[in-house]
Amino acid sequence: MNFSRREFAALLAAARALGAQNSANSEQPNDEIMQALIEELERSKSLKLSNLPSPYFIEYALDDTYSLSVSCVLGALISSNAAKSRLPRVQLRVGSNEFDNSNYVFSQLFGGRMGGGRIPLEAGPIVMRREFWLATDRAYKGALQAIARKRAALQNVTQQEKLNDFAKAEPVRYIEPKQAIQIDQAAWTARTRRISSVFSRFPDVLNSGVEFSAGFATSYLANTDGAAYRISDNLFSLRLRADGQAANGMPIHDAVVYAGRNLADLPSEEVMTKGAEEIAANVSALLKAPAAEDYSGPVLFEGIASPQLFVQLLGAQLAPIRKPVSEPGRPVPMSSSELEGRMGSRILPEWMDAVDDPTQSTYKGHALFGSYPVDAEGIKPMPLKVIEKGTLKHFLLGRTPIRGFEGSNGRARLPGPFGGSMATFSNLFVKANQTVSREELRKKLIEMVQQRSKPYGLIIRKLDLPVTASAQELRTLSQASGQRGGGPIVSLPILVYKVYPDGREELVRGLRFRGVNARSLRDIFAAADDEVIFDYIGQGGTLATLSPSGYVSTHTVCSPSILFEDLELEKRTDDWPNLPLVPPPALTSKL
Amino acid sequence: MRQILVFALILPALAAAPEPSGLVKILAEELNRNFTTLQDKGEPKPYFLSYAVTEQESWSLNAVLGTITSNNKRHQRFLDVSMRLGSPKLDNYHQIRGEMPDFAAGASVALEDSPDAIKRRVWSETDRVYRLATQRLTNIKTNKEVKVADKETVADDFSVESPETASIPTAPIAFHDDEWAARLRKLSARFSKYPKLLASQVSVTAMRETKYFVSSEGTRIQHGRPFARIMILAQAKAVDGMDLNTGESFSAADPKQLPKDKDIEEAIDRVAKDLTNLLDAPLVEPFVGPAILSGRAAGVFFHEIFGHRIEGHRQKDEADGQTFTKRIGESVLPSFLSVVFDPTLHATAGEDLHGWYDFDDEGVRARKVNLVENGILKTFLMSRSPIVGFEHSNGHGRKQPGAEVVSRQSNLIVQAAQTVPEKKLKEMLLAEIKRQNKPYGYYFQDITGGFTTTGRQGFQAFKVLPLVVYKVFPDGKEVLVRGADLVGTPLSSFAKILAASDKPGIFNGYCGAESGSVPVSAISPSLLIGEMEIQKKDQSRDQPPLLPAPSAGGAN
Repeated sequence: MNFSRREFAALLAAARALGAQNSANSEQPNDEIMQALIEELERSKSLKLSNLPSPYFIEYALDDTYSLSVSCVLGALISSNAAKSRLPRVQLRVGSNEFDNSNYVFSQLFGGRMGGGRIPLEAGPIVMRREFWLATDRAYKGALQAIARKRAALQNVTQQEKLNDFAKAEPVRYIEPKQAIQIDQAAWTARTRRISSVFSRFPDVLNSGVEFSAGFATSYLANTDGAAYRISDNLFSLRLRADGQAANGMPIHDAVVYAGRNLADLPSEEVMTKGAEEIAANVSALLKAPAAEDYSGPVLFEGIASPQLFVQLLGAQLAPIRKPVSEPGRPVPMSSSELEGRMGSRILPEWMDAVDDPTQSTYKGHALFGSYPVDAEGIKPMPLKVIEKGTLKHFLLGRTPIRGFEGSNGRARLPGPFGGSMATFSNLFVKANQTVSREELRKKLIEMVQQRSKPYGLIIRKLDLPVTASAQELRTLSQASGQRGGGPIVSLPILVYKVYPDGREELVRGLRFRGVNARSLRDIFAAADDEVIFDYIGQGGTLATLSPSGYVSTHTVCSPSILFEDLELEKRTDDWPNLPLVPPPALTSKL
Repeated sequence: MRQILVFALILPALAAAPEPSGLVKILAEELNRNFTTLQDKGEPKPYFLSYAVTEQESWSLNAVLGTITSNNKRHQRFLDVSMRLGSPKLDNYHQIRGEMPDFAAGASVALEDSPDAIKRRVWSETDRVYRLATQRLTNIKTNKEVKVADKETVADDFSVESPETASIPTAPIAFHDDEWAARLRKLSARFSKYPKLLASQVSVTAMRETKYFVSSEGTRIQHGRPFARIMILAQAKAVDGMDLNTGESFSAADPKQLPKDKDIEEAIDRVAKDLTNLLDAPLVEPFVGPAILSGRAAGVFFHEIFGHRIEGHRQKDEADGQTFTKRIGESVLPSFLSVVFDPTLHATAGEDLHGWYDFDDEGVRARKVNLVENGILKTFLMSRSPIVGFEHSNGHGRKQPGAEVVSRQSNLIVQAAQTVPEKKLKEMLLAEIKRQNKPYGYYFQDITGGFTTTGRQGFQAFKVLPLVVYKVFPDGKEVLVRGADLVGTPLSSFAKILAASDKPGIFNGYCGAESGSVPVSAISPSLLIGEMEIQKKDQSRDQPPLLPAPSAGGAN
């Protein structure tokens, strides 16, 4: 097992050949990063502390990044930072695939994490290897402690199910050409500034901001199974937010995020400026909108509200998290996926399917946001029909086995909490095989309202997903998901319209979902023939495990507008802050 | 043309008058608007409002063994709002046992003097602070009603000071990162000669800091200062698992004034050699006996053990140990020693100091404070939080952005009326060892820092973490040792200071406490102490790395 000398020599040759290729067309004479990782990895295999076992698996990863972030408010620059960094990661396992130091509450308590800041930003293979050398030494000693503690914790416990700790996998070698880093900082700063000045025209918007972020990353990975990759893993985004406060004190919020894996995937300045005007206008309209009452009845998710709902109720549920071994009598409070244990059950209507496909790069001219050639564990992904005719067929897996499932299908995307990686969805296509036009779907909603003699129905056009939510709302969400202990809750809807039997629409505010969860999806009544595409920046799994690592994942969801026969929304009954005693300062800039 | 000429003639006159900068003007306008409206409509009403903006332009570069590992440049502006409701007798800053006031947030504000963006932010911060302030004032009033007041500590919450107006330009910094990168590569590579070290680094930082402060009392000031620093650090692990660190730093007002490469190389060699020698040095045993603290070590010792206990706000905190509260006019140090805090001193003995400023963070003008005169305690370090008998600030209210002001140290200077040359001090140590009939004494060459508890619930004790310590035998032989921590209780330690040398040592650093990290200096002659207690350092038991360090030879 592990990889033989011969394989190693081949890898090293590959790394060198790569360097040779590069020297032909770039100033970089050699890929010394890959070479340093592989050389140090080979050396580390001989780690041994007295009579204790050597590691059976070591993985080194390094993200070589250049990031630029620009933040503007009302046409003025708040901050502008450009930085190069190299972030290393070491994963080390002792024991065997069946039982090792991972999947234990204290897996990462010993040995410490590896930080950046001491890896050279320039040529310096020995200095880089020194950092991996010291980090590996710490990780090895930590792993030995962790596995001993884990054994002790299990000594007086009868495990209901014994799961292996780490699945075996086919190693993949995948080397992309090195990317050139090109960005016009001055132009993007000016653009961000101009877009932020849009809000100067909306005095109702009390607080606003625009943040541009460009992240060029080249990710390297090499492990003792023989996997090695070098891929470009870029992320560009422009985030816009606008806040106001209604007369009764209720905070009003709207936001939009434009994101892409290539700078060219971001929309034009004109489109983003319109986006700023739109969220400002939404805030102004919501300030004047009447407060809604509790509601139970038909609800139409139109436009991006549909893929937004699928992000939370389906995408985030498709990769159950492995529960770690805990200390006896001290279970780990962790909410697991709502779909766990429901393999083979009906999740969607029989006329709907869902496919998770990281291999596809565009769809109908739209550059897909969740694509990747190899996952974070060096596994090549394949498209998966996760739901067929409404029935759950697959979970999304990395190399960490979960109850009933072992063997990666290439979905590890983020560093996980207990010594392994975390799986999540990529490009999720939710498809309906029976559809009507969008107008027809709206008509069906009105018919339902009339049939049931309801005064009105609801159309939801936008949700406030965690990536755009205010800090206050994020706190509420994480508290709520912690309290309930199971399953996430759906984010607040931002744009909710009452639709009266005569077809008239009225914007309302102040509602949240009640009891809406993954089970609700079974009762989708009808779908439109539109395919709405939504790009989403995830912060690491479900709401309960929100952003533990600071890493983000990229996703696209494509789904049709959908109609539910019966959903509940309740009036938000929070205590709102009083209005400020001092009115806001007048805006003076002339546009 | 003509007009320009006229302007040129007028400009110097204008510059001489304290003309508020764009930012001061914007802050002052929004301050007036908020203060007037809150006084009109607010219940309770504010009697004081201030806005402080700290602007920092900073550069930092770090190098390890000949390569650059980080290179950052930042420009930030932080806004802190301070508002007082009620009256100076009792306001929302009143100390409640175990609960610190926490209103400041260090909010980011526009880097340009753009009125719309800045005023909106200032307004929303003022609103946020007003809400918190009203809530805390209500808590305080309830608390006052149920608890019996400790009569002696009843002092007002806020002192009356005269408003200040000033506009002092901050000198620009020219930082050439390419030049520094080249220098640091060369300097850090020097550590390659010392294979026993596990980690090392050489870094340079420079910062231009400008502070803007406006208050409802009419204070309108702008002032600031540049900083530059080189830090040298090295780490190693002894065979028994003990982690060892050594380091040196150089400070200057401007990167141009930092030392030449030759001096830095010498420091690197000292740091590396000290550490290499420490790896093989014997461990200390617990000990009580005579010792010399070098000037720098004595400076840190005074900062930790004495300085933190004469910070004014501690004298009114019910939870504090209050070692010196009732000792005014009494002898607290040997009569040949005086202690001065002087934030107006920019340099001494040709070395730039860290702890100077023109105004403190409450807009009070900096001034020299004679704290201990010939052993007698005269006063405390005061912010605008008065204590009984000390009704005014002496310009020592300090904080970092985002924290609330408390009284803090500046440039601490220990002065000795009688001194002896360094050589003589060592002879006196040998004599003291013999007199006390001890097998050896100690010489503390360098100290990283230390910590002390001043809280009443804890022990009134300190621990100082020395870097380089020698055992000194009666015959004058010196042996480097490791694992020594200096411990003791403050009152007894000061009584045993026997003599001082004629050579002051300077320590420049950052001090961390309730109000965050602030730049400080400590200057002291070497001191001979009749009785010092040494305890064994708490140490890691991890083994040194199992594999040898990687080398250029490739896979082995």
